[in-house]
Amino acid sequence: MEPERGFEPRTYALRVRCSTPELLRRDAAGKHTPAPSAPVQGLLRVGLPFLAVADQADFEADAMQFAPQLYSAAMRMARNPTDAEDLVQETLLKAYRAYGSFQAGTNLKAWLYRILTNTYINKYRKDKRRPTESELGDVEDLYLYKRIGSEETAASSRSAEDRVLDGLVESDIKQAVEALPENFRVPVLLADLEGFAYKEIAEILDIPIGTVMSRLHRGRKALQASLTEFAQGRGLLPGENPKLSEPK
Amino acid sequence: MSEHCKEALEKLYAYLDRELDADSLTAIRTHVEECPPCGGAFVFEEKLLTVIRAGLREEVPQVVVDRIRAAIRTEIL
Repeated sequence: MEPERGFEPRTYALRVRCSTPELLRRDAAGKHTPAPSAPVQGLLRVGLPFLAVADQADFEADAMQFAPQLYSAAMRMARNPTDAEDLVQETLLKAYRAYGSFQAGTNLKAWLYRILTNTYINKYRKDKRRPTESELGDVEDLYLYKRIGSEETAASSRSAEDRVLDGLVESDIKQAVEALPENFRVPVLLADLEGFAYKEIAEILDIPIGTVMSRLHRGRKALQASLTEFAQGRGLLPGENPKLSEPK
Repeated sequence: MSEHCKEALEKLYAYLDRELDADSLTAIRTHVEECPPCGGAFVFEEKLLTVIRAGLREEVPQVVVDRIRAAIRTEIL
């Protein structure tokens, strides 16, 4: 017996199983009767049209649970609630339509974020021009940390740091991230909000892993510079910067 | 700043992102535990990342989730 071209054995077995209920026929009295034994090739031909239905029926249970998470990312991408809602809805509709091509057992979350990201970039992105890395400005490492005053003891330094961390409010974080150019903002969101691994981000964005790392690095540094301004505005940082005068 | 400190700083985010292999992880952990300036920086950056993550979360209004579900159902049926 030759499986139909393009079907892996595992998929093949699943398809046969999915098709089983559909092989029941109604007799003249409307009673279900098992299908008469037919060649397997024939069973498959009967089963295949129902495969999509069986798979897509799982979509709600499998994929809809990600809707709230997708919305968080969509809000930081689209930067307004109306576009964010449309973006999530469009993402899930596209995912639903393509669900037949999603390989079960692979990374569903990453697949959904890939659709989300592509939809955002193609349709909702307002800043079409992508700034280069150099335009982001060169921010030193540990930018915020170095601007918090050194105290005499480790414990009091810690508490000065915690004051800054506690003093930054959610809107500061959101604004600082939303101010990042899109090609830095999206990798930062995928890593810092969603906790995707570098390799997953590379696959979601279809860019090399080295590019992911450099955009994350630059994006996070720019984010720190922006958070430093918020911290300064809230009076959380000292006028002088003792840590900066330490010998390197 | 020693060579070890430089290396630790370079790998700070790979460490926080859990992207280091076992050998690098051990080397970085050992250094950070022995070197208070690096230890301080690592602790701060880790906390900052937690603050950023929490700040980026968006509470989704239930009505929005319901609308999205309804739209998907309309498509499915």
